[in-house]
Amino acid sequence: MTQHRCASPAQPGDTDARAPAIELLGLSKSFPGGRAPALDGIDLVVPRGGIFGILGPNGAGKTTLMSILGGLILPSAGSVRIAGHDVLTESRHIRHILGLVPQEPAIYPTLTARENLDFFGRMQGLSGAYLDSRVQACLELAEMTGEADQRVEQFSGGYKRRLNMVIGLMHEPEILILDEPTVAIDPHSRALIHHRLRELNAAGITILISTHYMEEAELLCSDVAIIDHGRLIVQGSVPELLARRRDEAIELQFFSEPDGALAQALQAIPGVRQVELAGCRMRISSDRPELAIAPIMQRVQADGPTLRSLVYGRASLEQVFLSLTGDRGELR
Amino acid sequence: MKGNLAKLRASIVKDARILLRDRQALILFFTMPVLFVLILSLSLRDVFGDRPGATFPVLVVAQDRQEVGQGIIDTFRNNPHVRLSLDEDASEAEARQWLIDGQYRFVVLVPAGATEQAKRRLGEVMADVPVELRLERPVEVRVLADPSLRSDYRKVLEGSLDLALHGIEMKLGREQLEQTLRVTQGTHFSGLPDFDQARLFLPVHGETVTKGVGGPTPTSVQQNAPAWTLLAMFFLTVPLSVSFIKEREQGSLFRLQTMTVPPWVVLGGKAVPYFVINQIQMISVLAVSVYVLPLLGGDPLGLGNAPLALVLMGASASLAAIGFGIAVAVFARTTEQAAGFSSATVMIMGALGGILVPKAVMLPIMQDLAVISPLSWGLDGFLDIFVRGGGLADVLPEALALLAFSAFCHAIAIARYRRRG
Repeated sequence: MTQHRCASPAQPGDTDARAPAIELLGLSKSFPGGRAPALDGIDLVVPRGGIFGILGPNGAGKTTLMSILGGLILPSAGSVRIAGHDVLTESRHIRHILGLVPQEPAIYPTLTARENLDFFGRMQGLSGAYLDSRVQACLELAEMTGEADQRVEQFSGGYKRRLNMVIGLMHEPEILILDEPTVAIDPHSRALIHHRLRELNAAGITILISTHYMEEAELLCSDVAIIDHGRLIVQGSVPELLARRRDEAIELQFFSEPDGALAQALQAIPGVRQVELAGCRMRISSDRPELAIAPIMQRVQADGPTLRSLVYGRASLEQVFLSLTGDRGELR
Repeated sequence: MKGNLAKLRASIVKDARILLRDRQALILFFTMPVLFVLILSLSLRDVFGDRPGATFPVLVVAQDRQEVGQGIIDTFRNNPHVRLSLDEDASEAEARQWLIDGQYRFVVLVPAGATEQAKRRLGEVMADVPVELRLERPVEVRVLADPSLRSDYRKVLEGSLDLALHGIEMKLGREQLEQTLRVTQGTHFSGLPDFDQARLFLPVHGETVTKGVGGPTPTSVQQNAPAWTLLAMFFLTVPLSVSFIKEREQGSLFRLQTMTVPPWVVLGGKAVPYFVINQIQMISVLAVSVYVLPLLGGDPLGLGNAPLALVLMGASASLAAIGFGIAVAVFARTTEQAAGFSSATVMIMGALGGILVPKAVMLPIMQDLAVISPLSWGLDGFLDIFVRGGGLADVLPEALALLAFSAFCHAIAIARYRRRG
């Protein structure tokens, strides 16, 4: 990606390379009539250069946070700085640095893809040959050069989301914020968006993404923060968080139902604490799973039905998430 | 500032594109007021009837062209409300058919030999022939009328015909008397005095007593053309507010807010294309009223002598309508709310402001109440130009009121738009 900034001359102090991409300090937001604050004293630092995930169940406050970052609503307390600039008082500086991709495709359905890009480019202050080159580059990023002159209302959901994303890239921002960019989207478009986000990140753009797809966060993000009830529960790198909760259970799945005798035999193996049998699935809790796994497999191969799958030792971000958010953690 | 002007231009192009791609809406914007004006100006022509410029097509089938036939023709020819057609030998059946076809509203049948018959009858009267022995019957001038002709106007036409016949009776009687006196008095007879020069009563002229601004009241087209132009302009508040809320719902408005695009760029982008549509609406309604309406038998619209005043009124009415639409858009939560509220309010303002029902026929208290409706200000301005021959200075109060309303609406809309939760 070319590295010249938008057409309007960069203003001194537009970007402070030493400042973190995003800094939230004691950020709170209460809505009139709301029983509890939507955001409650959030302190968060998003470093430059990574892909940062904001995770949280429904109603956790993700969208409120995104709206405050975009300057759409005012915080009740606390401060928000983007690249060292205050969101409230220095929004003019931030405009050039920040690209915002809202959750729902914010595009004009009766305009073509090209016209949408052209319009939003002009609204960012771009013009002339640079604007044209950015429109073309963004069409290529979204892989829709062939559909550039079709009206957006004829597009599938995936195409709309791709266009929605590249509109946020028209002015080549340093920091890109995406609110659930892959909701209700076909696998090809999702893979393309993931691919592009990694490319953009490799080119030096800091990315903040809110998502409720744990796999997406695991695949994409270097760091994540989990929020719930408007509070920041945990923040850290993905490997750190995964290390916090290693599941000690061994899960077996068979092609046919095993009998109770197999369960009893496995229970007798040293180190096995409990064996739960549910249809074709068996869950074995163990204090020392790394020692118990070999005798378990021997016994299963000798006496059990054909084994379909074995899961052991893999912690997922989803498990971390569920353990931290409790029963409310069911995902959308 | 230069950057923001470029943004305003892009915003106008964007909104114009969106509007131009909604063909059905465009057709509706332009045909609605034109059709309203055509239909209502033609069907309500007689309701506004006895007004300067309003005329009825009247046919006189004069099979007699002597004193009786000519007297009747002269009477109608001098009546400013009558567009007179003459025929000498049409049959009654033909005349009836023309009435049914709407070609004429009123037909007078003068039988052949009417003057001769009247004179013979007069001779018998003067000779004092006893009633039962008189041979000649009174002449019957028959009248056929279109049932849609309002009964009061029909009475007026019948009355003037009666008056004409009285005049002819007087004239024939005087001539007969003169002839008799000349025979009996011989050379002593010096002629009768000229009664025309010795009228006992002045001709009757009624004075119209109106409240406030005096002068003539509008014809059907003078009322309808500006009335429906204004209503059509204000009805654009519905698509205007809906398009704004759609943009909010689609999120594109939020996107623009995050780009710190100033509100006047966003609102101006919407206002300019709608302003152009409003002006085209007005021009098409006026053109139809001037050129097409007369071809269909309606009264033509005279545009007055103040084109600048007309431009000023068109522009300020449009800005008032756009301001109202934008204010509705910013305050309404849903498209349904905006469409329902703006269409209902425009209808109420139209009813109050003398658009749906002319102010002249309203009760005085309702006429006073009309002052609160911006549509009434607009209509008054246009009527100043069309009916009272007013110029720029005469429409200035109305235009300023509309512009103030527009400024107020825009100000509260921008204040609300800027407010963040």
